[in-house]
Amino acid sequence: MAGNSELDRWIEQLKRCEPLREHEVKVLCQKALEVLVEESNVQRVDAPVTVCGDIHGQFYDLMELFQVGGDCPATNYLFMGDFVDRGFYSVETFLLLLALKVRYPDRITLIRGNHESRQITQVYGFYDECLRKYGSVNVWRYCTDVFDYLSLSAVIDGEIFCVHGGLSPTVTSLDQIRAIDRKQEVPHDGAMCDLLWSDPEDIEGWGLSPRGAGYLFGGDVASQFNQANKVSLIARAHQLVMDGYKWMFHDQLVTVWSAPNYCYRCGNIAAILELDEHLNKNFKVFEAAPQEARGAQSKRATPEYFL
Amino acid sequence: MAASGPDERLLPIAILIDELKNDEAVRRLNSIQRLGTIALALGEERTRGELIPFLTESNDDEDEVLLAMAEELGKFVPYVGGPAHAHELLPPLENLSQVEETVVRDMAVESLCKVGEKLPVKGVAEHLVPLIKRLAGGEWFTSRVSSCGLFTVAYPRLPADTRAELRQLYSQLCHDETPMVRRAAAQKLGSFAGAVEKDLVAKELLPLFTDLTADEQDSVRLLAVESCGAFATALGSDGCRASMLPVVQKFAADKSWRVRYNVAQQLVALCEALGAETTRSDLLPAFVKLLRDPEAEVRVAAAGKVAAFSKLLTPALIVSEITPCVKELANDSSQFVRAALAGVAMELAPQLGRGPTIEHLLPVFLALLKDPFPDVRLNVISKLDQVNAVIGVDLLAQSLLPAIEELAEDKHWRVRLAILEHIPLLAGQLGAEFFQEKLGPQCMKWLEDQVASIREAATTALQKIAREFGRDWTREHLVPPVVAMVRNPHYLYRMTVLSAVAALAGAVPGDVLRGTLLPAAVACCRDKVPNVRFNAAKVLQRMAPLLDRSALEGSVKPALRELADDGDADVRFFAAQALWGCDHPNAA
Ligand SMILES: [Mn+2]
Repeated sequence: MAGNSELDRWIEQLKRCEPLREHEVKVLCQKALEVLVEESNVQRVDAPVTVCGDIHGQFYDLMELFQVGGDCPATNYLFMGDFVDRGFYSVETFLLLLALKVRYPDRITLIRGNHESRQITQVYGFYDECLRKYGSVNVWRYCTDVFDYLSLSAVIDGEIFCVHGGLSPTVTSLDQIRAIDRKQEVPHDGAMCDLLWSDPEDIEGWGLSPRGAGYLFGGDVASQFNQANKVSLIARAHQLVMDGYKWMFHDQLVTVWSAPNYCYRCGNIAAILELDEHLNKNFKVFEAAPQEARGAQSKRATPEYFL
Repeated sequence: MAASGPDERLLPIAILIDELKNDEAVRRLNSIQRLGTIALALGEERTRGELIPFLTESNDDEDEVLLAMAEELGKFVPYVGGPAHAHELLPPLENLSQVEETVVRDMAVESLCKVGEKLPVKGVAEHLVPLIKRLAGGEWFTSRVSSCGLFTVAYPRLPADTRAELRQLYSQLCHDETPMVRRAAAQKLGSFAGAVEKDLVAKELLPLFTDLTADEQDSVRLLAVESCGAFATALGSDGCRASMLPVVQKFAADKSWRVRYNVAQQLVALCEALGAETTRSDLLPAFVKLLRDPEAEVRVAAAGKVAAFSKLLTPALIVSEITPCVKELANDSSQFVRAALAGVAMELAPQLGRGPTIEHLLPVFLALLKDPFPDVRLNVISKLDQVNAVIGVDLLAQSLLPAIEELAEDKHWRVRLAILEHIPLLAGQLGAEFFQEKLGPQCMKWLEDQVASIREAATTALQKIAREFGRDWTREHLVPPVVAMVRNPHYLYRMTVLSAVAALAGAVPGDVLRGTLLPAAVACCRDKVPNVRFNAAKVLQRMAPLLDRSALEGSVKPALRELADDGDADVRFFAAQALWGCDHPNAA
C-alpha cells in the first residue's frame, strides 16, 4: 500500500507532468476509494479554503493556479469538479489532484463534476487520452471507479454551499442530498444528475436546460434554498465566464471558473475564490500559463473534441 | 509512461509477430516499436529471409505504424548481420520513402541515410546509387522529393564518373517541374555542396543555386535562402564574396515578405561567413532596410538580430546606422517588434560604451520600460545588469529607478516577479542606504502580494539582501517590519511571514535569533489555523541547526511536542517529522 514517502514521490513526479505507471495508478485509486468512501454527500469543510472551478485537463494552467493561490498543503483547496476532458493532460491533472487528496485528505476537497462520468469521458477526451498514454483502458477504468466515490457537494463553515452545477427541483434541503446513494455512474435524471448539470438563469422558478440534462433555476429558487438551509451563498462552476467569476441573484450565487483560455482558444481569464478564516472573500484572477512554462507541448493537431 | 503488462521479455515472440498483423493499429504499433526484440529472437538469417520481406510488403498501414517502422529500420543494421548485409534494409525503406505522408517519408530518408553510412564502399555504388536513380526518376513527386536527401551520403564514396552522374541528376531535380521537388533540392543544396569538390561547387552547383534563388515560387526561394550559409561555407571565402553577395542583396529586397523574413533570420550567419569587412561595406544597407521593412514579421526577425549584427560593426557605424533604427523600432506600432527589440537592445550597451549608451540608448530603454505590453517591459528588466555594467549605478538609479518602481506594482505578476528577482542584484549595486530608501518598503509590500509565488520569491530576496548588507543592518532594517506582519488576519500572509522569519534566521545576530525570530515562530505554533501550525513546525525544524541546546530544549522541542498531539493529522505529521529532524540534525 502507498505510504507517505511514496505518495510524496508521486506528487513530485506528477507536478512535472509525468504520468504514473499503470500499477501505481491502481494503488493510488484503491487508496483514494478508502478515503472518499468516508466522505459525506455534503462534505463539511472548514475555512480558510480556496474554492476552484473547472480545470478540464489544462495541467499547466493548474500549475499556474497553484503559483497564484499557493501550493497544497500550505493552502487549503476545494475543487468543484470537471478535472478531466478537453485539455491535453487530463490524466496528469486528475492523478495529481487525487494524489494530493490521498496524501492530505484534510487539506483538499474534490467534488464531482458532470465530466467525472464514464459516458461523458468517452466523448470528450479522457478515455482517448488514457488509451493513447497507456495503450489500454485500465487506467480509465480505475479513475472512473474513483469518480463514483467523489462527494457531490460541500458546505464551508455552514455558510457556503458548493456544488458543480446547481440545484434540483427534487432537492429542497441538504438532508435530501445526504440521502442520495452516490456510488454510481451519473444518472440521466434525478437529484444527483441535476446537482452536476443545472445552471442558474435570470428566470423565475425552473426552466428546461438546453444541455439536455439538469435544469435552469432562477433567483427565487436560489433564495429559497439558501434560506431553508441557512447558507448565505451558493458557489458553483460548470459555466465558462469570461472574467473568471460572476455574481448572480444579488450575491446569493457565484460562478467560479478556473480554466484560463478554455480549450486553449476561448480567451477568458480564470479565477479562484480565496476564503480566509473569517470567510472574507477574495477573488484571484489569472491567465493561461505562458508558452515557456508549458514544457514541450504536444504538437498534434487539435483533437476534434475541443468545442 | 508505457503500459506495464506482463514482462515483455517473457512474451512469446510468436505473439509479437502475430501482433504485427493484428487488426488493431495500436497493437501493430506496439509490436513495431519492439521490432528489435523480434529480430533478435528470430536471428539474423530469418530476419533477412522472413521479417524484412514481410515488412517490405507491409507499407499499406496507418501513418503512425509506418512512421515507427521507418524509424526502427534505421537502427536495424546490427540485426541483419552488419554492414555486409545492410543493403537488404534498402527495399522496405525505399517503399516508405514514397508514401503520401511527409513525416513518414522524411523519417524513411533519415533512416536510409543512417543505413547508407554503414554500407561498404562497394555497396554504395551497387545498391544506393540505383536506389537514388529510381527515386529521382520516379513518376510521383514524393519519390523525387525523397531522393534529394540521399545525395550527400552517397557522393563522397563514389568514383569520379558516378559522381558526375549524380551532379547531373541533382541539376535535373533543381529544375524539376514540380515546385515541391525544387523546394527539396533547394533545401538540401547546402549540405550537398559540403560533400562536393570545391572547384565543382563553384563551377556546377553555383549556377543551380543562382537559378533556385530566382525561382518563380517564393516557397522555393525561401528554402534557397536557408541554404545560403552552408553554401557560402562550401564555396570558401575567395569565391564567396563575388558570387554570394549579389544573391543575398537581391534576397533582402525580394518581393515576398516570407523570403525577406528568412533573410533576416539568416543574415548574421551569412555575414559571419562573408566577414566583417564585407558586412560593413555591402550588407549593412541591406540590414537597415530589413529593420525598416513594411512587414512587421520581417521587422521582428531583424530587430531580434540587432545586437548580433552590430558585433560585426564599429561603434561609430552602430551610432550612425543602427541606433536611428533602434529609436524608431522602440516606437514601432507592433508590440512584437518592440518585444524583440527589448530582448536584445541592452546588449548594445557594452558594444557602444558609456557615452554613446547614455546619449543614444538610455532614452530607448526608458521608453521600452514604459511600454504598454508586459513582454516588452519584462525583456528589458531581465537584461538590466548589462546596462548597469556600462553606465554605472548612479545614472541607472536616477534614470531607471522611477520606471522600476512603477513596474514593481505591475498588474502582471510575472513582470513583478522579474523585477523582484533582480532586486538583490540591484541592492548590491545600489548600496544599503540607497536600497533602504528606495526599494526596502517595496520589498515589504511584496511579502503581502496577492500572488503566492511573489510572496515566496520575496522571502528569498530578503535572505539574499540580508546576506549582502550584514547582520546588524538586517536586525535594524528587516527584522522589525517582518515581525510586525505576523499579526496579519489572513492565514496565507502569516505563513509568508513565517517563511521570511526562517529565511532571515541565519542572517541575524544570535540574540535577535533567540530573542525575536524564535519567539515569533513559536507563537505561530498556537495559531488557530492548522496550516500555520504545521508550517511553524517546518520552520522550527529549519531554525534548529542555528540554535543552541538551551533554546532547542527550552522552547523548540516543547512547542513541537505540543504540536505532535494536535487535533489535525497534518500538524501531527509535520511536528513529528520536525522533532525527528531536531534529534538527527545530520540526517537530512
Ligand atoms: Mn461541467
